[in-house]
Amino acid sequence: MKKENDKELKNKLKEAEKQRDEYLEGWKRAKADFINYKKEEGERLANVVTSAEGAVIEDMIRVLDSLNLGLVSCREETPEKKGMELIRTQLEDALKKYGVEKIQIEVGEEFDPNTQECLEVLESKKPKGTIIEEVEAGYTMHKKVVRPAKVKVAK
Amino acid sequence: MTKILGIDLGTTNSAMAVVEGGEPRIVENHEGNRTTPSVVAINKSSERLVGTLARRQAVVNPKDTLFSLKRLIGRRFEDEEVQKDKDLLPYEMKKSDKGGVEVKMGDRWYTPEEISAMILQKMKSDAEARLGEKIEEAVITVPAYFDDSQRQATKQAGEIAGLKVKRIINEPTAAALAYGLNKEKNEKIVVYDFGGGTFDISVLEVGDNTVEVKATGGDTHLGGDDLDQKILGHLLEEYKKTEGTDLSKDPLALQRLKEAAEKAKIELSSSMETEINLPYVTSDDSGPKHFVMKLTRAKLEELADEFIKKSIDLVKETVTGGAKLKVEDINEIILVGGQTRMPAVQSAVKGLFGKEAHKDINPDEVVALGAAIQAGILQGDVKDVLLLDVTPLTLSIETLGSVATPMIEKNTTVPTSKTQVFSTAADNQPSVEVHILQGERPMAADNKTLAQFILDGIPPAPRGTPQVEVVFDIDANGILNVNAKDKATGKEQSVRIEAATSLNKDEVERLKKEAETHAEEDTKKKELIEIKNQAEGAVYTAEKALRENGDKIEANVKTSIEEKVKKVQEVKEKDNQEEIKSATEELVKEMQKVGEALYNTSNTKEKEGERKQTEADEVKEDEGNKEEKNGKSDSDDNSK
Repeated sequence: MKKENDKELKNKLKEAEKQRDEYLEGWKRAKADFINYKKEEGERLANVVTSAEGAVIEDMIRVLDSLNLGLVSCREETPEKKGMELIRTQLEDALKKYGVEKIQIEVGEEFDPNTQECLEVLESKKPKGTIIEEVEAGYTMHKKVVRPAKVKVAK
Repeated sequence: MTKILGIDLGTTNSAMAVVEGGEPRIVENHEGNRTTPSVVAINKSSERLVGTLARRQAVVNPKDTLFSLKRLIGRRFEDEEVQKDKDLLPYEMKKSDKGGVEVKMGDRWYTPEEISAMILQKMKSDAEARLGEKIEEAVITVPAYFDDSQRQATKQAGEIAGLKVKRIINEPTAAALAYGLNKEKNEKIVVYDFGGGTFDISVLEVGDNTVEVKATGGDTHLGGDDLDQKILGHLLEEYKKTEGTDLSKDPLALQRLKEAAEKAKIELSSSMETEINLPYVTSDDSGPKHFVMKLTRAKLEELADEFIKKSIDLVKETVTGGAKLKVEDINEIILVGGQTRMPAVQSAVKGLFGKEAHKDINPDEVVALGAAIQAGILQGDVKDVLLLDVTPLTLSIETLGSVATPMIEKNTTVPTSKTQVFSTAADNQPSVEVHILQGERPMAADNKTLAQFILDGIPPAPRGTPQVEVVFDIDANGILNVNAKDKATGKEQSVRIEAATSLNKDEVERLKKEAETHAEEDTKKKELIEIKNQAEGAVYTAEKALRENGDKIEANVKTSIEEKVKKVQEVKEKDNQEEIKSATEELVKEMQKVGEALYNTSNTKEKEGERKQTEADEVKEDEGNKEEKNGKSDSDDNSK
């Protein structure tokens, strides 16, 4: 009788231990998940801030594009044009403060999709696959491409 | 235990997600984007490019840039679909030895599986880098209409990419999973998936934890891209009409206009009108030209109308013809795909079914999230052991004016605890009554009373001064403990309520419905109470000021205030919001005069006050009696 009771108790204990381990495991996991989540959330938040900045910067870059196009169309050197150029410098300097840099493009260099997007391919005397014209400037922000440079490439 | 990745392998874009802490979330790719273009290319130096990079160089390298592989995977070369797509796609394709399709990239022929595998491989390694762990298994989604061969080929693509494909699931099923609709029994669900290049419609039936596809339909060549094209066409045409210039010949202008058109489309989902403004868009002999055009939501909807109408016709056809159901039989509708963000699409769907569709989850991500949930189920996530409950209804406490002030909002995961400090509503109030309520209505009387108790022994003090800290704590078993404590005396009182969270489902639904139907009148009622509370507060301050500074206030101002107080008290009895509001405002305005007057008297005495610095300090120390002293004697000026 006693033996049977012992056995039963042992089984119960085993069952309880198993459950304890299961619960402890679940608890630890949940806690770990939460700690990890908090850590990642911090990173994500930082990313959100940069990407929100990125969105504003992208819009600003569009304004800069228009300004550039406008300046190109002014043929005569007037004090007004000079003033507009200064505004452009001001805008470029402001963007620089946020880690925005213009992607440098050389005509004749090989097309590189890491920083460039091809708008059009044209017949040219230049070697195939090289840049023949930069149509729109590209920009990076903290070394990440915000907008690729738009180029024309030799066929 | 490594994570199983949920992947939505799309025609134009793909996305991936994992379950973390029981919740699915999108995993961003290497470039930091939440979706990856389903594009693969090989460049001159035989380098393989996948995703955004491949798309950027598509113009340079059209023959070796492969996309829309989903249209070809697992199909036979003779299939009508393949023959149709062959003419639309710019890359080379041929019939394979086994009768399937092969595509050319660089100088080699590949099966669509191999190309899709390259996309999956990128996603796998990007996910590994993001999550910091190896990914070996995946759940991949496919359209509900995919046949065995297409499913098999998709599975193979996963395996080529080094993933053990735990399951291939239907995209609409994944969407239903993401909305948690797999548990409802005998529900009929329509999934309306308007993507960039394809339109899919699926009718699902949910039974004992299984989801059955009753019918599928749609148009494999109808999508948001068609609408973008149409908007662009409209803008070009309008410009030509007004300015006489054809912008389609200028690649930069076209590119800028394309981007602006897409932006405008997105903007018009939230506003009624937008302006497309592209200065110096082009130039001709007469000089620079600008593009300035207003686009209204009405115009956009007019442009989109044919596509939306077509989609709705297809839905009707699939529901009635395919699934042999009536439109009224459908219990739930789910919107998938970026195009469904358009209000016109949402209202067209609502118009057909007469009910709101599910659209809270990002429609570009919902399928990947559902795939991750399926992965989580297969993984037997910890969730099974540790099922956490939520409070089905809001738990509140009654405050001034019979308002129910929420302590724990509905759908809060338990165990949880919330603390808030309350105060008294009258001077020298000796006790507070803690009235615990459950329900969504803003007025206490409309909710269910769970318990009530009184905390007494609060030392006499002006209204708003005592601090009574109330703690609501729900443990994991749904037992609510409410404790109220007077911070000054440390005296406390508490109550324990069993089963605060375990209400039966019907009751919860009934209460929620009730709250919805009464929402408008309830808000009005609450507003009235708030205005009355404000009025009361103003009267209290006025009376106090008269009592304490009465001798400093000019007699005529005093009478005027007394009159205004009387007026407020009179109108307060009537329930006219406007009247109470204006009477209160008048009183407050009049009180400002008193404030100014008092301030001026104290200003003139400021210098004197400085000399009496020591005296003033003494007064400050005696915080409890400060106000009384202040009122008693003006010689005792403490320059406050």
